[in-house]
Amino acid sequence: MMTLFLQFVFSLIAMLGFCVMFHVPVRHIPAAAFIGSAGWFLYQLCLYFHVSTIIACFLASCSVGLMSDIASRLLKDAATIFIIPGILCLVPGSGMYNTMLALVNGNLSQAAATGSRTLMLAGSIALGLLVISAAIRIVVSIARKAVNIAAKL
Amino acid sequence: MIEAKQKKILILAVRAGELMMKSGAEIYRVEDTVTRICKACGIHYVDVFAMQTGIFVSLDTGDENSDMYTYVKRIEGVSTDLTKISELNRFSREFTTTDLSVEEGMHRLKEISHIQLPPFPLRVLGAALVSSFFSLLFGGGVLDFLCAFIIGAASYSASRILGLYSINFFIRGFCCCALAAFLALSISSMVPGANYNAIIIGALMIFVPGVAITNSIRDFLSGNMLSGLARATEAGLVAISLAAGVGMVLRLWYSIGGASL
Repeated sequence: MMTLFLQFVFSLIAMLGFCVMFHVPVRHIPAAAFIGSAGWFLYQLCLYFHVSTIIACFLASCSVGLMSDIASRLLKDAATIFIIPGILCLVPGSGMYNTMLALVNGNLSQAAATGSRTLMLAGSIALGLLVISAAIRIVVSIARKAVNIAAKL
Repeated sequence: MIEAKQKKILILAVRAGELMMKSGAEIYRVEDTVTRICKACGIHYVDVFAMQTGIFVSLDTGDENSDMYTYVKRIEGVSTDLTKISELNRFSREFTTTDLSVEEGMHRLKEISHIQLPPFPLRVLGAALVSSFFSLLFGGGVLDFLCAFIIGAASYSASRILGLYSINFFIRGFCCCALAAFLALSISSMVPGANYNAIIIGALMIFVPGVAITNSIRDFLSGNMLSGLARATEAGLVAISLAAGVGMVLRLWYSIGGASL
């Protein structure tokens, strides 16, 4: 549990670095950094409970999408500002590296295994964002209709 | 006189769209902004088609004897600046809800386009923080933390220097990751106890194509298949260039006979 907390703190500082690199507006830096590291924390929490990496990544990217949307509505700004730094933690840089390492060592079967896992991780990030933004669209349109009907009554 | 006004509106809208696209916004947001600005100025017929490389806008006031205006804007050099997106977003909302004149709008846009990125040393510090803390997250120790801090700063500065010579993103990613891998391997061969795996992963995280992935998904979702595909390809190419840079250095190191991998 202690390592999980440390992971959260470390990713929070790494996220601050991303915020500076991508020039997140200063007033949104706390929210953006928190969203990214909360996504990473969820990812590590899933791994802690022995959930598979792909599901963990999917859940984490869902949570990043959801939190970004909430933040964009609360702070009245574009959701991209929170999603771009938030998703960067989850992008499988280590998978890329390990694939390359296996390839260089001539270990083709391991390279294929790590490579396909890396691709699936990237796909699960994409799928998580897709699912959550589609869901948000549906919920918002239903809520709008409900408000309209209520206004007519 | 009407025509001169239309031209001004067109230039304003396209300029706003161009700035947005250059700061790394999604297609949907750019098209929406251009349409809103034109509609707010009382032009009923607006059609926008935007891609990363250009914006096409057509305007028509709807009068029988008025001409249709079309403007094509080529966009070059895309970077990521989220503050500009935020400011432009606010500008478009302000422009549509209050009766800001076109000249004032143009003035605001000029101010927004002059927003600078954070000073270079600060960005290098950011990159160094990213690389060092990611090396910790991927199982590095205190020694790796320090190495990754320096290497992250060095490779980000290298990317900036290559950027000044407008070298394309593929070569840039390749060179920066090759440099990071080379530095990590040389340091770990000189300093006992340094774990070059964690250092290289930390440095890789600076260049990982997260923006392209995010934007490609959001473009696909809003139905802009063409740009979604283009951005997905960009993400794939960047990833390949990073992996190739690291892989080449590892391979060379191995064949020259440095530390065994």
